[in-house]
Amino acid sequence: MSSRVPILRQGDVLIASIQEELSDGDILDLQLRILEEVIRCRASGVIVDVSALDVLDSFGSRSLSDMAQAVRLRGSRLVIVGIQPDVAYSMVLLGVTLPDVATALDLDRGLALLEAG
Amino acid sequence: MLEIIASSAEDARDGYDLQKAMKWFDLSPEDRDRTMQLGEISESVAEAIIEAFYEHLLSDPVAAQHFHGPDHVEKVKAGQLRYFRELISAELDDDYIADRRRIGGIHERTGVTPTLYIGAYAFYLNRLATIVLDRMKEEPDSAFPLLLSLFKFAHFDMALALETYVDTREETIRDRERELSELPTPVLQLRPGLLLIPVVGTLDSFRARALTVQLLEGIRAHRARAVVLDITGVAAVDSAVANHLIQTMSAARLMGVRSVLTGLSAEVAQSLVKVGVTAEKLQTAGDLESGIELADRLMAG
Repeated sequence: MSSRVPILRQGDVLIASIQEELSDGDILDLQLRILEEVIRCRASGVIVDVSALDVLDSFGSRSLSDMAQAVRLRGSRLVIVGIQPDVAYSMVLLGVTLPDVATALDLDRGLALLEAG
Repeated sequence: MLEIIASSAEDARDGYDLQKAMKWFDLSPEDRDRTMQLGEISESVAEAIIEAFYEHLLSDPVAAQHFHGPDHVEKVKAGQLRYFRELISAELDDDYIADRRRIGGIHERTGVTPTLYIGAYAFYLNRLATIVLDRMKEEPDSAFPLLLSLFKFAHFDMALALETYVDTREETIRDRERELSELPTPVLQLRPGLLLIPVVGTLDSFRARALTVQLLEGIRAHRARAVVLDITGVAAVDSAVANHLIQTMSAARLMGVRSVLTGLSAEVAQSLVKVGVTAEKLQTAGDLESGIELADRLMAG
């Protein structure tokens, strides 16, 4: 069963809030749609909210990282927000530290980060 | 989160390998058959030997301290009689081991030293051997193997008791270490969005893990933007702990928080360089004041 993550638009920022664990296919689908929307909406930034997730496997984290790089190539910026404490620690234990990806505590902070430039 | 922490902290202890121990002591079922042959003699003299033994014990001021009055002595004597019989005839199995270790543990707790313990055993064996040799003086060739078997059991028993002594002491040391490492590490909010975590004492891996939990949960609870981790009060950091600090700070960054490590002593700095940790991996500042300034700058953008 595939679940389609809605991509909301707030000003010139796109917000994708992941509400449940996604299959690898769902993640790739989200990646593709975000890249299309970035150009279509002339978005200055993209926020991916993962605060509802209590697991983020290495494929998921790497896809997010790829997504951030690709969004940058499309002339926008991506911020991951809401990584929970235990998710963050498990990711680090898996060796995933997303050094080149912007992160923020929650949606609010993510929007502020994008506004600050 | 605690599960991740606990599973990596696990240190499994090996169970006692009875077969291996018996092999090492050259103990076999035949040895038990032989000591059983001593059953009749030992049963007839057990009480006398125990009486003599307690006379011997109570004549020593140090050993006598362990007894509180005649009632206590009587009670302990009854226990000794059982112990004595078991030495001759008990089945060597896990229950026996557990019982011997339990008795060893009681002796350790009441402060009976290994010298007193082994000395007491030697007294027993000497008395019993003397009597056995005397009663079997017509057939010394058969008495000797019987006694050798008895000595094997006695040594096996002593080894068990001493193992228990060592284990109990180690347990105590571990408990102390655990207590020390469970000293709480407070997460202080210096001003909205800025957390300060002063770490004092030994930062072993157990405590480092607890620190991770507190830091990451603290970030969420306080909606922090930056964290200053001050390790002025930490004397030594090994490579495992250094890596753990790096991991913790990486995890904090994944949550969108910048962290600064301050208060690295000269020794800590040197040992960090030796294990390959450089300033690039860690955001550091010389002292707490400049750490807070740096955190402010990071928060501002």
